[in-house]
Amino acid sequence: MALPQTAPPGLRPLLVAALLFAAASARAEEPAPQPVPRPAPTVISPPTSAEAGDASLSPECRVPGSQLYTLAKLRAVKAALKEKRPVRVLSIGGISAGLGASATYPVKLETALERSLPDVDVEVEARGLQGEIASGAAERLRSMVAELEPDLVVWQVGTHDALARVELSAFSDALDDTVRWIKSHDIDVVLVDPQYTASLADDAYYNDVVRTVREIAAREHVPLVQRYEAMRYLAGRADKGEGHMLGRQFRLNDLGLRCMAEHVTRAITLSLLQQEGGSREAPAQQAGQPAPSR
Amino acid sequence: MRDPNAIDFWRGLALVTIFINHVPGNTFERYTYSQYGISDAAELFVFLAGWSIGIATRGRDGHPEPRGRTVIRLLSRTIEVYRAQLTVMLLALASIAGTALVLDNPLILEWHNAGTFFADPIQTIVGVALLTHQLGFFNILPLYVVLLGIAPVFVLIARESRTAALVFSGGLYLLSLIEEWNLPSWPGEGDWFFNPLCWQFLLVLGFVLQDWNRESDTLARWSRRLMPAGVALVLFGIALAVLEIRPDPLRVPEPRLLFTFDKTYLTPARLIHFLGVLLAFRAVYGFLAPRIGPVAGYLARLGRNSLAVFSMGSLLSLGGQLLRFWTGGGLLIDLTILCLGLLAMGFTAWFVEWRSRKPRPRV
Repeated sequence: MALPQTAPPGLRPLLVAALLFAAASARAEEPAPQPVPRPAPTVISPPTSAEAGDASLSPECRVPGSQLYTLAKLRAVKAALKEKRPVRVLSIGGISAGLGASATYPVKLETALERSLPDVDVEVEARGLQGEIASGAAERLRSMVAELEPDLVVWQVGTHDALARVELSAFSDALDDTVRWIKSHDIDVVLVDPQYTASLADDAYYNDVVRTVREIAAREHVPLVQRYEAMRYLAGRADKGEGHMLGRQFRLNDLGLRCMAEHVTRAITLSLLQQEGGSREAPAQQAGQPAPSR
Repeated sequence: MRDPNAIDFWRGLALVTIFINHVPGNTFERYTYSQYGISDAAELFVFLAGWSIGIATRGRDGHPEPRGRTVIRLLSRTIEVYRAQLTVMLLALASIAGTALVLDNPLILEWHNAGTFFADPIQTIVGVALLTHQLGFFNILPLYVVLLGIAPVFVLIARESRTAALVFSGGLYLLSLIEEWNLPSWPGEGDWFFNPLCWQFLLVLGFVLQDWNRESDTLARWSRRLMPAGVALVLFGIALAVLEIRPDPLRVPEPRLLFTFDKTYLTPARLIHFLGVLLAFRAVYGFLAPRIGPVAGYLARLGRNSLAVFSMGSLLSLGGQLLRFWTGGGLLIDLTILCLGLLAMGFTAWFVEWRSRKPRPRV
């Protein structure tokens, strides 16, 4: 099902380029699988037909599933669906730039979720979370969760801690604790890792933060939206070699955000579908391990 | 300029503590007292603000100044703080944007709530002016603006009856805790980081206690007697902080804010812990001041010029955060940030005092 395209006029050329890429992608090479995200800041080739961008996403947001999410069970959301009551979602975390983007993200998420879960009422509340998970913000998150008592927490995590360069172990422990705490109260969690930006592609610490989020999602069996990988993929696709520092990346950021509601929705929907199929506890597609391409 | 005194000294210490704590992850954070208790420097700052209002709205002889003058005085201070907040916000946003440009790194734009401004400037600039859009680490001044704005109400009530002021303020505090009232954020969803409806109680408490203390020595006598209880509370706070014990907000009974350690709502546990800190440390200044003369003088000078020093300190700590991010941090960087910060805060205080001594240049 195609989602509405709300691309502002300035992005149309980009859209066209994306579509052209998708059409002409059959001969292109598959990006090499990388077990740990230590990406080189190079252009990533467009998708092959086997690993084409997920067709349920808007064309400009199409990323192969393996680079977009890992799945896990969402018991509380499932229960809400079964009881036919509204699904309450708390979206927590930083908001990245993009004109008109921040105010519309919760609305977009709600719309996208309601579209992919027909006949279900979804209520999205969004909260910014100031401070670092490693010092204090985790406590505030608990208060927010207690205040709103959602079925699902969609948590964009890691940016502030990465900006403060807190100790990795402190970040990791606090994140793990908090995810476990949320789950212990029968509330589902979807983690969203930090965004990709070319200037940090070689920053070992930043990549470690992204990897930590990924590891904890795997360890705690919660779905993960690989925003980093998705944006890296889109960056490669959208790269037109624009050198000015106000050029490419600031626009990419915008794209990454506009796609995020769709990406998060996709991860949630598939996680729910996967449950219906009675699949295993383990994530169907592991982080950093793209699905077999042939 | 007034001589160093306990109020200015503690306020100076709170300013330094806030500066260090606002560079998260830095080495010296663990040496600030905020890490070893339930309440932190924010409580101290607001309480002392209330105490100072008590001093400022009376003459040296203890007679209250005319009502109209008190209202104008507080209004003028409110405007001053509001102006400081706008200036600081502008410079903070510019620093964030500038660093993002120089480092070619849009991630920095996501710095604690700044993303909303860069994403939706039309709405957010309105929010900045209304104080409903706040950056992380820059939310004390908006609280202060509201507190000073409503302070005349409490001050005038207290002129008639301190108990009435305290009951009114405490009632608002309790109701806000029970009903979870807070001022809204806008354009982002959510509420204020420091809830003025709750924090006003601490300001009024500071004001009323100062007033009481001026009239009789009952407070002084009782706080001497209760000092052991204060020490016990402080030790208990240290134990809880070190062992990371705190109530689970989803397991406490309703109304849950009466039982959690929530900073936004200044929950009772934080308030009680802070009162314990006051009792435990009330006599410390008299003991310390003669022994650490220059340090006490430095801190008191910061405290005397708290608005300028706080504004500068918050920008310096943002600079420190950005520097840590850019360089990757480390002990040397942290030490540099600390030393430069302390020097710059000292210079700010000195500069403000120098400027107020100098006759204004004629243009």
